[in-house]
Amino acid sequence: MRTIARRALGAVVVMFTVATLAFIALQFIPGDPAEAALGGPGSQATEEALQAARAQFGLDRPIVVQYLDFLWRLVRGDLGVSYSQHIPVAEVLGRAVPPTFILALTALIAAWLLALVSVLVASGSSRIARGFTLMIDLFAAAIPGFWLASMLVLVFAGSLAWFPAVSTGGFNGIVLPTISLAIPIAGFLAQVCRSGIDDAQRAPFIESARARGESELGIRLRHVLRHGVVPGLNLTAWALGSLLGGTAVIEVIFARPGLGRTLVSAVNGRDIPVVLGVVLLAALAYVVAAFITDIVIARVDPRTEARIEQAVPRA
Amino acid sequence: MSGILPASHPWRSRATGALALAFAAALVIPLAACSSGGDSNGGDAASTTLTYATGDAEPTCLDPHVGGNYPQALVGSQVMESMVSLDEKGSIVPWLATEWEQSDDGLTWDFTLNADAKFTDGTPVDAAAIKANIEHLQNPETGSSTGYLAVQQIAEVEVVDAQHVRFSMTRPDAALLESLAQPWVAIMSPAGIERGKEANCAEPIGSGPFKVSGWDRQDKITLVRNEEYRTPPTGFEVVDDSVTEIVWRFIPDATARFAALQSGQVDIIDNPLPDQITEAIKSDGLEHLNAPRPGSSNRIELNTAQAPFDDAKVREAFISATDLNAGIETLFEGVTERSYSALSSVEPTAVQSPKAYVFDQDRANRLLDEAGWSEKNADGIRVKDGQTLTARFPITGSQSTQAEQALFEQIQASTREVGFDVQITPLDLSSWYGALGKHEYELVSAPYTKIGPDVLRFLYHSDATKPAPSGYFANHSMLQDPELDAKLDVIGTESDPAIRAQAAKDAQEIIAETHAILPIYDQQNHFLYRSAVQDLRALPTVSTPWLGSVRLGE
Repeated sequence: MRTIARRALGAVVVMFTVATLAFIALQFIPGDPAEAALGGPGSQATEEALQAARAQFGLDRPIVVQYLDFLWRLVRGDLGVSYSQHIPVAEVLGRAVPPTFILALTALIAAWLLALVSVLVASGSSRIARGFTLMIDLFAAAIPGFWLASMLVLVFAGSLAWFPAVSTGGFNGIVLPTISLAIPIAGFLAQVCRSGIDDAQRAPFIESARARGESELGIRLRHVLRHGVVPGLNLTAWALGSLLGGTAVIEVIFARPGLGRTLVSAVNGRDIPVVLGVVLLAALAYVVAAFITDIVIARVDPRTEARIEQAVPRA
Repeated sequence: MSGILPASHPWRSRATGALALAFAAALVIPLAACSSGGDSNGGDAASTTLTYATGDAEPTCLDPHVGGNYPQALVGSQVMESMVSLDEKGSIVPWLATEWEQSDDGLTWDFTLNADAKFTDGTPVDAAAIKANIEHLQNPETGSSTGYLAVQQIAEVEVVDAQHVRFSMTRPDAALLESLAQPWVAIMSPAGIERGKEANCAEPIGSGPFKVSGWDRQDKITLVRNEEYRTPPTGFEVVDDSVTEIVWRFIPDATARFAALQSGQVDIIDNPLPDQITEAIKSDGLEHLNAPRPGSSNRIELNTAQAPFDDAKVREAFISATDLNAGIETLFEGVTERSYSALSSVEPTAVQSPKAYVFDQDRANRLLDEAGWSEKNADGIRVKDGQTLTARFPITGSQSTQAEQALFEQIQASTREVGFDVQITPLDLSSWYGALGKHEYELVSAPYTKIGPDVLRFLYHSDATKPAPSGYFANHSMLQDPELDAKLDVIGTESDPAIRAQAAKDAQEIIAETHAILPIYDQQNHFLYRSAVQDLRALPTVSTPWLGSVRLGE
């Protein structure tokens, strides 16, 4: 119980810090946010129009007052109104979250599937297969997401016309964006899982299991793979962050609605309430994902369960 | 998570088999879905849903009075109408207003409105509606930054009777009709405006060939045909079998947009890349519509207010050192022509001055020597009094396409040969405007869309060097020339077309002689579409596509 309370408090501190840092950082980017309401940067609007916009959004108040007001509204769950879209930020985010959540989830599942296939192939005895998958993983991990996405569009949407080039709202529209996001992450996951497996295969407990008379198969499943996936699971929270970053590119290329695209246009248009909303949401997702990952790892690797219960920091 | 691979199973055979099955399913299911989805789009002859994919930014508000940019004009032209329009020659023709008359002193305008015009909410386009719209544009709460410029000189709007409206002006405005033709001054239902900004931004009510039926942000706007549409601009017609629905999609990535067109997922795209245009021209199933925008040409402006381009010889040297024609030829593969004017070639008053922009490296070297930049440092950059011959060139993707940025890099390379150090800095739009506001530039490229030669007054009058409240100013070359100002004032106030055209010609010649700009080409505005799309034309106002009489054939 104490652990959960401790973690919840930690989450609140993280959210408060993120909110404050984001608020401060946004004060330093060039451009007048009032222009967001007047058609964007480079507005030729009159002084009266600019003042009307500033008054509407409270931008004419001292910065400390704006900050305290922002925090106070945040505590009550009010994210404010989008400067450019003239609708509540909660509504903007409400529209953007489901498509990004679905894309991130399918990409994460696909990445794990691809990584496990690669690890399974590589853990066999064939040296050729092992070398080949090693090369594929390295290539997959190093590939830039935007290039991969453009190539997939050119080949599978343009030349072969197997999949639509841009989102259709249906299932077939999510295949290419999912693959674009999953491949680089799968490369990383496979690499770290494989090193975990290599370590496990050389570990003394494998010898003792053998000595107990366990079959080679049982050893691989119960001991080797179990150890192998832990580093990968540890990376899942990181993968989620990488996915959220990746959606900013992938959603634009495949013309999918979502958080990444919302963030890109909000930053370009200096729509500060929307930027803050997306940043806070991403931080929250991170906190939640890290928590879930810890629980999952605790189940796979009982040693960590004990550590989490004793609130001992992980190495 | 131990459930991923059940521990008691022989994993080598069963687990991999299951994975393989999952992968096969992942590949086959979408394929099946794809083939069934494809038929409903391309194969059905009775289908009258047209999908337009734009690469321009998604508007944040569909009411073009709020802000006022090109993305709003693109979609707004399908929904809302203006008081007047242009014909192919650039002359003003009737639209919502059928007749107009200017008083001799130029201070009163009387308009007669088309009695057939009706908004899609059923209310008439009458004098009261015109008054409400002009006042909406002039109200600071609206937040107009483009349309209000057009109605600045209107002091009062008087409702004479339902079909007649009178504008009283603070001073004569020769460009009034050209300004009123712009989509940022489109006329909307007063009842729609009264709903407030949020509602009117989401669904403005116009009198155009389509009405807004839905907007899924970041995805699409759905427009449905206005069945009672009667009032196309002069030169356009209402046709019975025009498309009944438009799906207006936002596809920012050029590669994905073109792939969607090739596969038939969409019917029309804008902002294609130059190589996509050449590919479409060669292709059987695709067509190309080239509709340059009015107003300024795309040009590089030289900041005449600070070193080194405060010296006319250095400006002339820079222009002489630039081999622009070769660059345009290689990068744009013949899809566009070189411009030698500050004005777009679609402007009837545009004058081309090719002699002012001749590539001559020897001349560039001689001029720089004469101007005192006769020594070079170790890097081959010219120096004078301890200063290097440096020109900062901030650029932004919002103003310059990728191909254009490649062209700028060629300019950087060719001017380096005579000793210029051009420093290109890519910036986001806000930072770019910030750099201009602080005069941290010697070179800049910023096209300006507006109807008529009055754009020259917006861009080169000494008044335009003074920043707007936001810090924006349009005269980036910082020209402050009384002789030029006099010509530009004539363009702004003189209603005699011949005198006005002469003033525009003189002004363009003065601008060419000052070597303050390097014209590149017209503002590129290309559309690619499937051959099944029939009768696609651009409105001659600001070259937005007119979908009101488009039909879908085979």
